[in-house]
Amino acid sequence: MNFDHIDIIQSLIDGVLFGSIYALIGLGFTLIFGAMHKLNLAYAASSIAGAYSGLMSLTIFGLPPLMAFIIGPIMSGVIGLILYFACFRFMPRGNHLAPLMASIGALFFIDELIIHETSGSPMSFPAILPDAYFFLGEFGIRGDLLLVMGFSFILMAIVMLLLYRTKLGLGTRATSQQPIAALLCGIPIHRTNSATFILAGVLGGFAGCLLAASVGVLSPLLTLPLTVKGLIVTVIGGLGSIRGAIVAGFAVGAAESIFLLVRGVNERDIYVFLLLFLFLVLRPNGLFGTTINRD
Amino acid sequence: MTYLLGILQTIGVHTLLGLSAYLLLLTGQLSLAQVGFFAIGAYVSGILTVIFSWNIFAALALGSLMAGFFAFLVGFPALRVKGLMLVVATISFSEIVRLFFFNLSWRVNVNGVEVGPDSTQGFREIRYFAANGWEQIHIVGLIWFVVMVVMLALWWLDQVRAGAVLRAVGTDELAAQSSGINLTMVKVAAMTGGGVIAGIGGGLFAHSTTYVDHHTFVILLATFAVSYPIIGGLRSVIGTLLAVIFIQGFIIEGLRFMGDYRNLIFGLLIILVMNMRPQGLLDGHLVADIRKLLAKLTKGGKADA
Repeated sequence: MNFDHIDIIQSLIDGVLFGSIYALIGLGFTLIFGAMHKLNLAYAASSIAGAYSGLMSLTIFGLPPLMAFIIGPIMSGVIGLILYFACFRFMPRGNHLAPLMASIGALFFIDELIIHETSGSPMSFPAILPDAYFFLGEFGIRGDLLLVMGFSFILMAIVMLLLYRTKLGLGTRATSQQPIAALLCGIPIHRTNSATFILAGVLGGFAGCLLAASVGVLSPLLTLPLTVKGLIVTVIGGLGSIRGAIVAGFAVGAAESIFLLVRGVNERDIYVFLLLFLFLVLRPNGLFGTTINRD
Repeated sequence: MTYLLGILQTIGVHTLLGLSAYLLLLTGQLSLAQVGFFAIGAYVSGILTVIFSWNIFAALALGSLMAGFFAFLVGFPALRVKGLMLVVATISFSEIVRLFFFNLSWRVNVNGVEVGPDSTQGFREIRYFAANGWEQIHIVGLIWFVVMVVMLALWWLDQVRAGAVLRAVGTDELAAQSSGINLTMVKVAAMTGGGVIAGIGGGLFAHSTTYVDHHTFVILLATFAVSYPIIGGLRSVIGTLLAVIFIQGFIIEGLRFMGDYRNLIFGLLIILVMNMRPQGLLDGHLVADIRKLLAKLTKGGKADA
């Protein structure tokens, strides 16, 4: 195979731009894990489901394409709340397996619901800025991906503000540190957890819409890869670490793109997974995780 | 009859998958690597009988040993972490195995026919049973013999110290460690044992279906593997078998008339079961109740006599 530094830098640019979607999903996983110390495996599926409901509302109500990017995240937030009540709210606190299993059930359900409603065939999603493509010297940059990245940064900033500058964020952080102590201090932990699930859901809905818009189609086949990539980002970033998830999202996007260039599409994911194993051996706490978060 | 035997075949293989996850779940670890070990067992024993013309029993044994060996290897880095990290690490392992076999092409000419794994085309021609005059009833018999042996072994494990050690690690790691239990050793041992069980299941699966490809070994199968013991309950090996019969026999086969909606019901049922019985269908209380009932019955029987 022949490639020079231009190819490498070009695929790095593409990878980092695409990585912003992984960063959003990883951020959502981290938020939920941070709040409850439990894993919601149906999270990426709910993001894709949100994007689907945005897309379907366009055809049903005849709305302008841009509305998909508003309805999608809202629906995703609603699904997040439903998931909280279905899989987490009424489970015994010490039991980690039951909610995990329930969220796997929810993953199956959402996946099958999508396949049932769409007969399993992919649907095309409205593109944002389909013709924008600019050149920076020798390197090309896809305009829509640049927009995706900018939008992701805005969303991350909003999440950070919510977490560190509002009372809701204070409650979320307190609940994540010590739920019982938080309850004793008068923090309504169930309401706080619901809010976290909605917030993560909305974030995932945006990620789902942005992913669909940059790939061009929405397909039930997207859910499992997105789940796996989101989990990898969460672990590499360090469990419960917000900035870790963001940095790891970009890093995984870039690494994936490089492996694609060097080893081709069939082997790309093998190397992404090996990278994860390397992290587990050398830095089991991830990039920014502390040992306290290791659970 | 063929249909019934087919279902029995599926239930048997899935029970082995479930039991391999059960062993590790006893130590409190949730692993989605079982499907990776299953794939290793399937491919290795398939390659041995097809390319090297080995005897089926030798091939199954080596296949499951290989799976156990990889479980041992992956156990060390993976079991340094737990919870979410272990889930992610084991998902990655299974996907690495799947992608390896997805890319593996090893075509060999045996007796004038080209056989062996053919990357994306899958691995066909695993025809040991047909070539050696086995009938389906014999295959089902072999599968269930293995299932029974494994279940007995796991039941026996609970009667001796090893089972108590496993459950101690699963219940409270800190307490187990303070009483002098080597956590890593126990977990890696459970992982290795689970790998051997999944490997033999994979070998039986490959030979009974005669064809495997990478689509068989997706993460979905791993979630099935862990769902059996969790839904069935970890108190007893019977729980896993009951859950497999419930899911494979009742939901997947029994509700076939519902067509598409069956898959929707499956997800909802898992959520429902987990909310109503977080410890699984056959939880500690139920097992104790059944024991009491049995004791009463035998006592009553003696009084009558």
